Amino acid sequence: MGYVAVKAGEELIERAEELFEKQRLEGETDPVSVDQLDEQLGRLSAQAMSEGGLYAPRLAALAVKQAQGDTVEASFLLRAYRSTLERWDETTVVDPAEMVTTRRVSPAYKDIPGGQILGPTKDYTQRLLDFDLDGEDDPEDPTQEWDIGGEEPPDTLDNVMDVLRDQGLVHEPDGPTDDDPADITRDPVTYPAGRDAVLQALARGETGAVTALGYSALRGYGQVHPTLAEVRVGRLPVKIEHPYTGVEATVTSVEVSESEAVVPVYAKRDDPQFAFGYGLTFGRNERKVIAMTILDASIQLDTEDEPAENPEFVLNTVDGLDSFGFIEHLKLPHYVTFQSILDRIRAIRENESVGAGTADESSRDADEQLAEASDD
Amino acid sequence: MTDTETPRAETSYESVDAVLDSLDDEGLDGYSYAYLDEHTKREVRRSILKAVAIPGHQVPYASRPMPLARGWGTGGIQASLSILGPTDTFKVIDQGSDESVNAANIRRLARDTAAVETTTDTTDSDVIQTRHRIPEEALSEDQILVLQVPVTDALRKVDPSDAANRRRHAHKNYGKMWVHLYENVVEWGEINIASRYPTMVAGRYLMDPSPIPRWDVPKLDDADNLFVFAAGREARLYAVPPNTDVEPLAFEDREFQVERFGDATCQFCGSDDTYLVEIEGDDGETRYVCNDTSFCEKRQDDPELAKDHHRERDVSWGPGTPSEGADATGGDGT
Amino acid sequence: MSLLSADGVTRIYGSGCEACRDRTGDAAGTNQCPACGSVVACADVDLDLQPREVLGIVGESGSGKSSLAELLALEPNQDGHVHGSVEYANHPGNLLDVDYETRHALRNGHISLVHQHIRDGLDLDFSGGGNVAEKLLASGWRNYEDVRERVASLFEETEIPVERMDDPTHTYSGGMQRRVQIARALAINPEIVVLDEPTTGLDVSVQARVLDMFRRIQREEDVAAIVVSHDLGVVRLLADRTLVMRHGRVIESGLTDRVLEDPHHEYTQTLINSAI
Repeated sequence: MGYVAVKAGEELIERAEELFEKQRLEGETDPVSVDQLDEQLGRLSAQAMSEGGLYAPRLAALAVKQAQGDTVEASFLLRAYRSTLERWDETTVVDPAEMVTTRRVSPAYKDIPGGQILGPTKDYTQRLLDFDLDGEDDPEDPTQEWDIGGEEPPDTLDNVMDVLRDQGLVHEPDGPTDDDPADITRDPVTYPAGRDAVLQALARGETGAVTALGYSALRGYGQVHPTLAEVRVGRLPVKIEHPYTGVEATVTSVEVSESEAVVPVYAKRDDPQFAFGYGLTFGRNERKVIAMTILDASIQLDTEDEPAENPEFVLNTVDGLDSFGFIEHLKLPHYVTFQSILDRIRAIRENESVGAGTADESSRDADEQLAEASDD
Repeated sequence: MTDTETPRAETSYESVDAVLDSLDDEGLDGYSYAYLDEHTKREVRRSILKAVAIPGHQVPYASRPMPLARGWGTGGIQASLSILGPTDTFKVIDQGSDESVNAANIRRLARDTAAVETTTDTTDSDVIQTRHRIPEEALSEDQILVLQVPVTDALRKVDPSDAANRRRHAHKNYGKMWVHLYENVVEWGEINIASRYPTMVAGRYLMDPSPIPRWDVPKLDDADNLFVFAAGREARLYAVPPNTDVEPLAFEDREFQVERFGDATCQFCGSDDTYLVEIEGDDGETRYVCNDTSFCEKRQDDPELAKDHHRERDVSWGPGTPSEGADATGGDGT
Repeated sequence: MSLLSADGVTRIYGSGCEACRDRTGDAAGTNQCPACGSVVACADVDLDLQPREVLGIVGESGSGKSSLAELLALEPNQDGHVHGSVEYANHPGNLLDVDYETRHALRNGHISLVHQHIRDGLDLDFSGGGNVAEKLLASGWRNYEDVRERVASLFEETEIPVERMDDPTHTYSGGMQRRVQIARALAINPEIVVLDEPTTGLDVSVQARVLDMFRRIQREEDVAAIVVSHDLGVVRLLADRTLVMRHGRVIESGLTDRVLEDPHHEYTQTLINSAI
């Protein structure tokens, strides 16, 4: 069936959707529940929340289920849903130092105030397929025998970056202006973009794209090779002002990943200080947040020499929804523009009197000339 | 959106369950009229007004994520939904066809959320959303054409930087684009731009008319209707108001030319003054058919039907091709 | 009446303070203000340029001559704090205050700059002809054959092989690129051409030919010019009158022959004696 010249396009769409849905159901097992996804495949829903810019674990798990595991599609569902919601209130600014930390490492120092907290991680696990997971039933909690006596870990920890800033070694970021921070979901980004817009765009960036661009800088297409001051995972309080009393109240908390780095590119000549980079995103995604840190530092250099140092380049390519849509739109019919391109190549071949060429020749010419003409 | 049967989980998230319940309802109940909330629609309308006030100038607006993929008409649908009311009749075409899957999908969203009538007849519609074509039948001052735009800036051909191009527009500095055309002629003997032909609006702003064929570019000039160009991914809106001068860039001695179809006529209606597309048949034959399928059907009933049949005013555009190029295969100009 | 005149032109990079002017300059032996650290690129510069005249500005690097040249040539990059005034015979008001659009219009018909660095002046991906054509197209030429003809004649005039006209500019030699810049600068018959270090990056033999070519055209076309160079040979060849700059100040000026044969200022003497 062609996808145009057929009547009843709407019926076709419904059929296609039903076929897609069937793919999920044609297996022999029970449908996976949203709770199972939320609890057992939390990395997927965390990625969808991070890229969707909406903290809603159960909705994210639902989106992952509906998208059959495609995280970009899931973040798309979340964003489309978010855009229909009314905004009730805005939270007050929280200091990341208030984070209740479950994991925290500082590669810059052997020991730090509050100590290194390895927390839950697979970083040092040997990557061997665990065949016991296939067909497990009634697994046991491997930590149930732990003896957690003694001292409680502190609720909050000093920030390693603050130690360096107190010593005057790190360039101070520009303080907040009196204006409200930019909101890239309400105001389109224009260039040059403020750092508030840059950080939002990176925080919502597609994980693979952020990782790849961050890696490009590290790989040598750029000057930024940071030392991580700290990578943390934990929960940050969400606070609002009470509408009547004006008193700040904590209403919930969100799990975030945070990373900060110093970059030995001196921000100033007369008073040499480290440049820095910062990353923060919803959910547990250390890879993305470290890459974000590199990109933040890299973008602050603001050059056109390397992709990762060019703010426009990074911000214009990092969004998953944008790249997803435009890449996939090539599947749409393009025969109107293609007819126009055919007209150009025929006219020009006629001018240059090459009409009698063989098929091979004409297709070679076509390749060359289409590069000029087919840029829609 | 696909309905999803969500297992009822025992959970403390009451509000989330309420949300899931509302999503379980048939169709799009629970969403605002015309999908977008009123605040957003007002903002889009304001941006459109601004675009009308500065013809050809790209107005940034807060493009919302839509339930369609970006690049698939999300800008167009935001503009359409912001200006449609329940008494309006809506037409959607994609590459000239009402029946393309994507057009059908956009039409379905508007019908389900905005309760509009839909039509395939150009002359019956109040608002037409289109991708890559302007209908053959002349539009009137009561109609609005909303064009979907993938790339908003004509200057992107010569410089990828948005910041640099915004500066050029602000200063009407189009030297680079002219050099691009000049080098085109140097290399190919004529301007080798197929669609997305750079076009000057009201003598001030250079505009990307979206990937319409060159055939459609003259229809923008001194038209009776309003054209709204909307990009979702790039978050820009721009407009050509009625009766605005719109001129494709070209040299005095290397004129703008529309596509040529030689002696070809539409296989179905016999038309020789509409934009045709080639169809490669299973028998190896190339046939030509009208691209505007709705007008083609009308012409099949009445082959004499003019493009401005329903109008007082004559339309001066198309299918003419400047005499320059009309030698061998020449345009079959009227 | 002079074609162009500058009065008290000053350009300071940095925050600037009240002491800046007093504590920099020739007598102070520096262009950096010891109080606030700002760099006084040029200060209190007066000059005038007569029709058809060539004015030389000479000085070592860091003397402020390029900062001054950028201001006189209406460069859009206006960093630093700028004071003073520049009057031009064909435009009312202070050129240092004009908006971008006026600046753009004046640069497309009145005042042309030949940049020191090729990349600032040319788009190396365009053809050589395209770079010259850009000036014509930007000032409203719309006939393709007319543009071709004019570009070809400018190539002939500046002694670039016309058959190279359609090749990408990055395939040209350094001397040819400099000639393309000059052709571009002359394309729309400007009143004034500002040449910033016209010999940078060229072999000595190429330098002489480019300068000879420019001198010939300058006389044929009766165009006035300001030539900025660290090289006394360049001003000796081209300039009727010369200003000598040091630490952002004009320390000596006069007819070129007089300045070079009978330098009054000690620094000028050193400069001449140290020239090879």
